Amino acid sequence: MLRDNKFKLIFIWPAALWVLVFTIFPLFYGLRLSLYNVKIGFPDLFIGLKNYISFFTDHYAFNSLKVTLIFVIVGVAIEMTLGMLTALLFNRPLPITGFLRTIMIMPLFATPIAIGFLFFTIFYEEGGLINGLLNIKVPWLSSPNWALFSVILVDVWQWTPFCFLIFLAALQGVPDDYYEAAKLETKSGWNVFRYIIFPILQPTIILVLLLRVTEAFKIFDIPFTLTTGGPGTATQVLSMYAYRVGMRFFNFGYSSAISFLLFIIVIMFVMVMFKRVRQIYQ
Amino acid sequence: MKKVRKIFKRRNINLVTYFILALIVAGITFIPFYWAISLSIRNPIEAFTVTGLAIPFVQYKPTLENWTEELATGETQKSLLNSAIIAIGTSILVITLGTPAAYAIARFQFRKPSNSNINVWFLSQRVLPPVATIIPIFLMMRFFKLLDTRLALIIVNTTFNLPFVVVLMRQAFLDLPIELEEAALVDGAGFFTIFWKISLRLAAPSMVAAVLIVFAFTWNEFLFALTIGSIHVRTIPVLMSGAVDTRGVQFWFVAVRTLIAVSPPVIIALLAQRFIVRGLSFGGVKG
Repeated sequence: MLRDNKFKLIFIWPAALWVLVFTIFPLFYGLRLSLYNVKIGFPDLFIGLKNYISFFTDHYAFNSLKVTLIFVIVGVAIEMTLGMLTALLFNRPLPITGFLRTIMIMPLFATPIAIGFLFFTIFYEEGGLINGLLNIKVPWLSSPNWALFSVILVDVWQWTPFCFLIFLAALQGVPDDYYEAAKLETKSGWNVFRYIIFPILQPTIILVLLLRVTEAFKIFDIPFTLTTGGPGTATQVLSMYAYRVGMRFFNFGYSSAISFLLFIIVIMFVMVMFKRVRQIYQ
Repeated sequence: MKKVRKIFKRRNINLVTYFILALIVAGITFIPFYWAISLSIRNPIEAFTVTGLAIPFVQYKPTLENWTEELATGETQKSLLNSAIIAIGTSILVITLGTPAAYAIARFQFRKPSNSNINVWFLSQRVLPPVATIIPIFLMMRFFKLLDTRLALIIVNTTFNLPFVVVLMRQAFLDLPIELEEAALVDGAGFFTIFWKISLRLAAPSMVAAVLIVFAFTWNEFLFALTIGSIHVRTIPVLMSGAVDTRGVQFWFVAVRTLIAVSPPVIIALLAQRFIVRGLSFGGVKG
């Protein structure tokens, strides 16, 4: 009765139906929109793949793609490296680690919109926290390259703790005997990491990579408030560009095409890693 | 003996170094919060003149005026109410729909599609970038005359949080010993009695954690709140984003608003600490 139950469909359907209705419909509708020239007040005009083709000739779109890729690759690489180092650091008997770990949880759920504004005051060039504290004059938000770096820094601040927490949980699951045995073989900490910890943690690392990359591709809130995509279009990530084209210029068709391309990029990445991830979740 | 002491000494120095490093990491994590607090209790005149760490009482005289002024604003109160209603509504709806589905995947046998396929399907919802659904959902809500209502935002947030709760709760049910349920079955208890009195009771802590996490996610949600609810049902994030356009850069209000926005989800994160790792990794890692 616990395995095969007449109520099983009643249990599963409400949630499944809800998700189906509210994601499948928008998806197909969005796909349809992306193949049309949609203008409010005019009938929709079928134009085939034109919206997608214009993406590749639109240098704003291309710039957004570039910015997004830099953001994802650099950001996630820093987060995972720092997260791993911090996890290794905390995975030893130090005083008040419990308390310090609690502090590390705080950025995770901090409202991204608010964090964007807060870091605006922190990066502010005259009287902001960083330039004031270190007595330097870095154009954090007004120089295009620094601005992208600043957006990455905020993301690193917010999400390194996530990598850290998951890596730490995984590290604490490694039995002490493994370390003891490894110490007999080698004196180099790097070797212990390379040949013992890394292989054991590999599924976790892949999982974190997957979660972080899919999340990072969706980034919207922080550049929206920290830099509003600027200066110029230096931090205009794909989500923001799609949003602007759709909700500011009301070009629904082209906006849908841009967001679909973003969706396809994320899916391709997930497909590559899917097999491994499936093993983890079973 | 001398050698042992030498090793011991070196170990201690290492530990001190590591401890200082850990303090620095935690310090960098905390400093933005400290800065927000410091800025929020500063007199506007001193917002730009006090530099460096800006320690209250030492470098300036703290005041609560920014706080009282901001909290007395009708707009802020209304947004707080909107955010709270939408987040609570979403949490209740998500846990009500999600828990039975999660239980079904954890305990019952599905054939086509199989249990693991259903689970992966729920999991895969996370891949979808919200921006790809924003125009269809906007048009959909306009069609149903739901634009600018709390209900619309509850529906949207439920959609994006439900898959996560199903996966999270499935793992929670899998971790419960099935023997208890089987024993009750042998004793003649009905299915609903078992589900209600045993499974749900035992999974209650996970349910609480799931509700808290959904509350925080919904509270923080911005993109949809901006698109389909930006006039009458402004949430706290939308209120913040609008205020800068009209008020310019007023650091002291930015700081107060940041703290108002950030406090509920951050407090929740601290309350649900034990479940955060598993929750955020979508049930994939035990923590």
